[in-house]
Amino acid sequence: MSSMIYKKKSPLILFLVPAFLFLMVYLYYPFFQNIINTFMKIGGLGRAAEGLNAPWYENYQRMLADPYMRTALKNTLLLTFCTIVFQVGIALILALLVDTIRVGAQFFRTVYFFPIVISATALGLMFNLIFLYKGGMVNQVLLSLGKLPTEVKPSGKVLVEWLDWKDQAHFLFTMFMPVMWQYVGFYFVILITGLNNISQDLYEAAALDGADGWKRTRYVTLPMLRNVLCTCLVLAITGALKVFDLPWVMFGAGMPENQGWLTGTYMYDQTFNKMNVDYGSTIAVLIVVLGVVLSNVANRVFRPSEDI
Amino acid sequence: MEALKFLCFLLYNDITDMKDVIKICIKERNPMKKTLAMLLAVIMILSLGSVVAFADKSVTLNVVTSYGGDDGNRKNFENAVKAYEESTGNKVNDGSATSNEEWKAKVLTDFETGSEPDVLFYFTNADAEPFISAGKVVSIDEIRAEYPDYASNMKSSMMAVAADGKQYSVPSSGYWENMFVNKAVLDDCDVAVPGPDYTWDQFLADCETIKEAGYTPIACSLVEVPHYWFEFTVMNNGTVENHLDVPTAGDDAAAAKWAAGLNDIKALYEAGYFPANTLTASDAETVELFNAGEAAFLIDGSWKVGYFTENAEDLADFAIAYVPGKGDRSASEAIGGISMGYFITKKAWDDPDKREAAVEFVSQLTSDETLSTFVTTEVTALASGAKPAGLNPLQQSAADANANITAIAGAVQDLLTAEARGDLFANVQNVVTGKMSAEDAVASAIALN
Repeated sequence: MSSMIYKKKSPLILFLVPAFLFLMVYLYYPFFQNIINTFMKIGGLGRAAEGLNAPWYENYQRMLADPYMRTALKNTLLLTFCTIVFQVGIALILALLVDTIRVGAQFFRTVYFFPIVISATALGLMFNLIFLYKGGMVNQVLLSLGKLPTEVKPSGKVLVEWLDWKDQAHFLFTMFMPVMWQYVGFYFVILITGLNNISQDLYEAAALDGADGWKRTRYVTLPMLRNVLCTCLVLAITGALKVFDLPWVMFGAGMPENQGWLTGTYMYDQTFNKMNVDYGSTIAVLIVVLGVVLSNVANRVFRPSEDI
Repeated sequence: MEALKFLCFLLYNDITDMKDVIKICIKERNPMKKTLAMLLAVIMILSLGSVVAFADKSVTLNVVTSYGGDDGNRKNFENAVKAYEESTGNKVNDGSATSNEEWKAKVLTDFETGSEPDVLFYFTNADAEPFISAGKVVSIDEIRAEYPDYASNMKSSMMAVAADGKQYSVPSSGYWENMFVNKAVLDDCDVAVPGPDYTWDQFLADCETIKEAGYTPIACSLVEVPHYWFEFTVMNNGTVENHLDVPTAGDDAAAAKWAAGLNDIKALYEAGYFPANTLTASDAETVELFNAGEAAFLIDGSWKVGYFTENAEDLADFAIAYVPGKGDRSASEAIGGISMGYFITKKAWDDPDKREAAVEFVSQLTSDETLSTFVTTEVTALASGAKPAGLNPLQQSAADANANITAIAGAVQDLLTAEARGDLFANVQNVVTGKMSAEDAVASAIALN
């Protein structure tokens, strides 16, 4: 009797259908409706379409010619690259370092993971204060170190030339740094879990063969960590394409001078502030296409090894 | 017999009977009677719930206003809401926020997605047309058919009329926009507080003096709130009478004065009179620059008086003066009027529990007594006028300045659609940095209006 239960697979459908229906209603239907919306003229969320655009592919034409869209794409791809190098890179270094210490490992795990649990809005406000133009933390440190030019006016007033961390020369650093900082802990925890799963026998064998610390890392740790690293990289790339909240809180609509757009912030601005729902939908389609393509490329490049 | 006891309980809600019923349910061995007892027990529990629900008649109203953030009337609004809650026993879910383009867009989106509040304090101009034309708010006439005294303390002539000829909102206090000055900075630079005959040339000379002394002449975030300077520079290139003319083509007279106004802002930017970070700073940052005695001039509205009342170290350092005049405009001509009011949404009106609560809320917040706490120097639609008392030095300064105002016009930006306005103000940074001509910025906005 009990063997029959395992042979008869049809009841499993009952358990799969609810999730399938949920995804159909809340993911696939909106997704296909969104594609249809890109061809329509829609002047506000919830408003009925006013008919087809003329020509029907007008939004795609506009997107190709839109300089802000090009800026958004460039910034998003740069953010993706920085995510790979800095988020996963720093997380890997921190994980390797914490893995080698015996005392305080749990403390560092908690400390590095902590930024993940803080809301992006709160983080955005905090970094706004850190990078504030007049009297922000970074500028005050620079002033106290004598790194900011000052001028004493004839009236005796001291004029400080504060550094604008949101201007065109600095905004990429100011925008990307908090994003990197927030998620380093996430990848750190994944990687350190992977490190804990590496058998101590391998390290003992390497030590018997005369491998020192660096060689153990190079020839044992990193190869054994390859699959976990690949997962981290794919997560980081797809995650970077969706970044929205922190940059929006800190930079709003394309600051500075429309150079600070990301695909996510530009889509939000077009849809919710400019009421260009159809154009916002077109940008959303591009984000999905970009996500699928890049995650596929990442999956192929960083394909997990079946030998491990 | 047991069933009779249940009925007794249902009729009289006697707790002693209820205990008996439970005992019966447990002891009863007859299946038929047991089923009947269980059924009646369920009815009893449901009836108990309904009795509890019926007893709690408190209503929770969802209210959205612009009295959020650092609005000068935030405290007055909180006090008015508290008084309403205490007098009615109702609760208010306050979803207020600072008014800006994003907030306006969010309110409209809430209407379009069916998430509108019960009572809304919002702009009464073209901004309100999307939800008025969609029938999402109730007209004053419809409310008065059931509540004849609704808004009877207001001057009907000062209540906004929608495109369909009906009135929908009960006006609160009005507003004025004018020039705030930091007298301490002006004193330090030997610059006189501007009078009602202040000219643009005098202003440029004063700005240069202030800049040379190491202060920022004008506190303004051109990326967040360029509209204050836009309104006055446009009026400076036209007249108070034609200020509300909206361009219909890129080469008409209204478009020309809009472009000239934008070019005046560009000239101020190029002269270095705005804060060095005006294209990346928030409005809060530049206002604080002014408050901290680092900037001399700030164009803002009557709502900012309350901010300085709460945050200024010494109110006597601040005064309300006049925006410099140019061409046919005198500095004594300003922007002002009544642009906002309370709407009751159809959703609340159609809810029997909320209808009266919403009417009572608006009535209380627009009563003579409550509005007198909101109004200090602003325009009011109250038939008997507001009676503000105990003006502080800045409020007195505003009252004195307003006494010299010779003419007033509404803000022309209120006549633009959200999309056109958003486009126009987003392009101000492109105009001042030379990435776009003022004429192109105006043409781009007109195309979306």
